[in-house]
Amino acid sequence: MGRTWWKNALVTVTMISALSVSGCGYNDLQGLDEDTKAAWSEVINQYQRRADLIPNLVATVKGYAAHEKETLEGVVNARAKATGMQVTPEVLKDSAAFEAFQKAQAGLTSALGRLIAIAENYPNLKADQNFRDLQSQLEGTENRITVARKRYIDRVAEYNKMVRFFPTNLTAKLLLHLEERPNFMVADENAVAKPPEVKF
Amino acid sequence: MDRKQTVPVRRGFVSCFILASTLTSALAFVFLAHALDVPPLTGRIVDLARVLPSSTVESLTAQLAAHETQSSNQVAVLIVPSLEGEPLEEFSHRVATTWKLGQKGTDNGALLLVAIKERKVRIEVGYGLEGVLTDARSAQIIRNEIVPRFRAGDIPGGVTGGINAIVKTIEGTYQAPEKAGPRQESDVIGQVVVAVIVGLLVGLVFMNIHRLIGPVAGAGISTLLAPWLVPALVASGITLLLLLMIGASGTGGRRSRYSGMDDWVWYSSRGGGWGGGSFGSRGGFSGGGGDFGGGGASGNW
Repeated sequence: MGRTWWKNALVTVTMISALSVSGCGYNDLQGLDEDTKAAWSEVINQYQRRADLIPNLVATVKGYAAHEKETLEGVVNARAKATGMQVTPEVLKDSAAFEAFQKAQAGLTSALGRLIAIAENYPNLKADQNFRDLQSQLEGTENRITVARKRYIDRVAEYNKMVRFFPTNLTAKLLLHLEERPNFMVADENAVAKPPEVKF
Repeated sequence: MDRKQTVPVRRGFVSCFILASTLTSALAFVFLAHALDVPPLTGRIVDLARVLPSSTVESLTAQLAAHETQSSNQVAVLIVPSLEGEPLEEFSHRVATTWKLGQKGTDNGALLLVAIKERKVRIEVGYGLEGVLTDARSAQIIRNEIVPRFRAGDIPGGVTGGINAIVKTIEGTYQAPEKAGPRQESDVIGQVVVAVIVGLLVGLVFMNIHRLIGPVAGAGISTLLAPWLVPALVASGITLLLLLMIGASGTGGRRSRYSGMDDWVWYSSRGGGWGGGSFGSRGGFSGGGGDFGGGGASGNW
């Protein structure tokens, strides 16, 4: 034993610490970066799908409740505002743009909630087959938005963890120049906003 | 006098500890019990509320099995006594994605979920079936086939009517593609092998400088190239071991020292969690790996 044992232990410890510092998840960070972008694209996709349903919905409601001008215009304006924003994966790097996007979509959600609420007062509208189909499509899309948001939140949490943990944060900050990504405050906007439930 | 003073203190400390741990475990139990567990996939019809007679269960199972054989679509039914506070859509999505109904890649699965206490029903549709079993059609099935029967108190009739309508809606327009191949789990193994080979090459080069720098450099490169943590540790461990052995073979008589490394490598590889875990055949029916995006419709009665 003696000196040799001590020297070898030191070498082993040095090697282990060198290993843990060197690997640092370079590939994993790249992978998570792509996953986050893909999840974000899916979120945008579903929001766009919702926006596409709206013209038809507004036209159907107008057929029965033309004088509800305020509510109808509210929806049309909110939609224009939401679709007018240029949203790309680059938004993920800018938390102010991300916030603005969230706000615009939340505005559209509440405008739609009001529109569905006033439909309660028009039994003929409620019974209209076209309106029912559009309503179920809208509900389906809102659910898809919730799923997409939840998946994005999970992905971003993984990504942010890797960006912040030691030692991968060194690779992230120094080698790849990757920052933390913004996250949604809630997975399900609707649960928080609580629009009225329509019963068949 | 000292002994008399310490005993009450110790007793106080022990009871405090017991109280604290009881409270913590009670809180933990409350916290964990909040979300409803996804029930095991025991068959195509999982009736936890026991509202379906066995003849209905048998005929529906046969119908859905035949449908799967013909089209590769996987349709299942889950009836729970209560959602226990969880939102219907959230639970439905969790169950469908855990059961992985539908084939991997084509995502052609569908779930009919009934919650007896809340009087809610939902059809959860996988990505692949959203084109034929649209949100609108799902809502129509619920409205026209299921809810009227449920309102009349005929749960088995409602479920049967719903399944018939679902299958009819899908059939005829959906073409079953070739079944997808086995899952690619060898991906990670391939990466580890590459990492080890490159690490060895680099290590051998550095070995000329010093007998110990070689292994360190080689293992470092291996860690960098393999996926983080477990595969990276395995790759670097293998590279390190091999390079050290190569280094040691020069001096001889030192082999015994590296058996410790051996154990460590095997231990970490056994603990590795990259194998996604095959779903296994429980009762002959298991999910094919399909995914769900939140499509479908809900209703209540």
